[in-house]
Amino acid sequence: MSRLRKDYEHTKTARFVAFVQGDEPPRDEDRTEEWRRRVEEQAETDRAANASYLELPDTDPQADRRLLRMTGFRRIRRFYYVIAMIMCLMIIGMLILNVAYMPPFGSEDAPANNEVSERYLEKGGEETGVVNTVTGMILQYRAFDTFGETNVLFIGACTVIILLLHREGEEDKRRHHEESVSDNGDASEWTRVTYSPEYDRKGDVILQTIAKLVVPMIFLFGLYILLNGHLSPGGGFSGGAVLGAGLILYNQAFGFRRTERFFDEKIYDIIKVGSLCLYAMIIAYYLFTGANGIPSIVPLGTLGAILSSGLILPINLLVGLEVACTMYAFYALFRKGSF
Amino acid sequence: MMEWLRLIVGGICILAGIATALIAVYGLFKFKYAMNRMHVAAMTDTLSILMVLLGLIIIRGASMDALKLALIILFFWFASPVSSHLLAGLEVEISDKLRDNCEIEEEERGGDRS
Repeated sequence: MSRLRKDYEHTKTARFVAFVQGDEPPRDEDRTEEWRRRVEEQAETDRAANASYLELPDTDPQADRRLLRMTGFRRIRRFYYVIAMIMCLMIIGMLILNVAYMPPFGSEDAPANNEVSERYLEKGGEETGVVNTVTGMILQYRAFDTFGETNVLFIGACTVIILLLHREGEEDKRRHHEESVSDNGDASEWTRVTYSPEYDRKGDVILQTIAKLVVPMIFLFGLYILLNGHLSPGGGFSGGAVLGAGLILYNQAFGFRRTERFFDEKIYDIIKVGSLCLYAMIIAYYLFTGANGIPSIVPLGTLGAILSSGLILPINLLVGLEVACTMYAFYALFRKGSF
Repeated sequence: MMEWLRLIVGGICILAGIATALIAVYGLFKFKYAMNRMHVAAMTDTLSILMVLLGLIIIRGASMDALKLALIILFFWFASPVSSHLLAGLEVEISDKLRDNCEIEEEERGGDRS
């Protein structure tokens, strides 16, 4: 049987286990006497170390300058400027020289023009049914790769949630609840989620007016990019970024309360996990049909129509939702610590 | 003839926009205080972008591309003054050197903030 440390429940491992199991982490105040004594000792030594450092300048206006002269910084400053300039010029020159050695634009001998891209360009239209070959390449020929990228987004958001998600204790909740009710008067909306006032700040009138005008356009444009990804430049990642930016702007202007009327944590979870799972199912379908040599039953449609190119349109939509959710999650977590 | 006229007028517009941007870059490095620099940057965001894109529209003539460029101008004129305004608001809120650099009327601020 392994031995437990005396202050086991304050170690990082114990905290992590408690976090995983969903228990309340131990509070700092409950720590053992031993631990508190150690912290106080540490603080004492820190203060002693800082004191000598803090005493140095401020009283003597010459001290700063003397310090500079002592370190020789003044002498090398001009030299430093000259060196920086020379470095910049050298880098610019090297880059321009490299550009001069590159093959001319559209040349046949360019290294990018090999049989792979030839294949994409010639057969891409009939094999995938897309006009925008880049989308066909990303979402059909290399769909598995893109699936990995989407997973990276998902894992990134999960990591930020693990690091930053902050649920206030029961005591805080009651306090904030009382405050907010006395502020606003409508208690019904405030019972579920708490807001400390400094987090839920709205923009001023200028931002709100502009956001009212611009946010619908941004959403519309993002959807256009998403749905038109197989016909024109765009697709899941860029359209999702536009959607996420629109959400962030809306949040910035109108605050978390109004955003949560249509986008709260529950909806976020559903969209994020659901879109990733659907995407995984589509990929599984691709792999299954491809590995067994079965022709795909999804019709490719006519080239250039909006409902064409088989499964690329839904994949674009799913990737876009994933990206939008990730962007908004980063923003919300860094700003408030929850949704 | 018409082509050449369009090219010349559009070119003048574009050059004026570039000149504005260059002046703004100079100002950005000349001024020391954040608010002044923000003022310079905001001017560039609107005026020089308007001039450059207007020049492109004139050269291009009436077409779908010109419409898109006009929409870009519209979007920039909506978005960039507001973002400058937000940055300036942040500076007012957190800066402790504000009173050294500009005069402030004593007034209750932020009635519409909640």
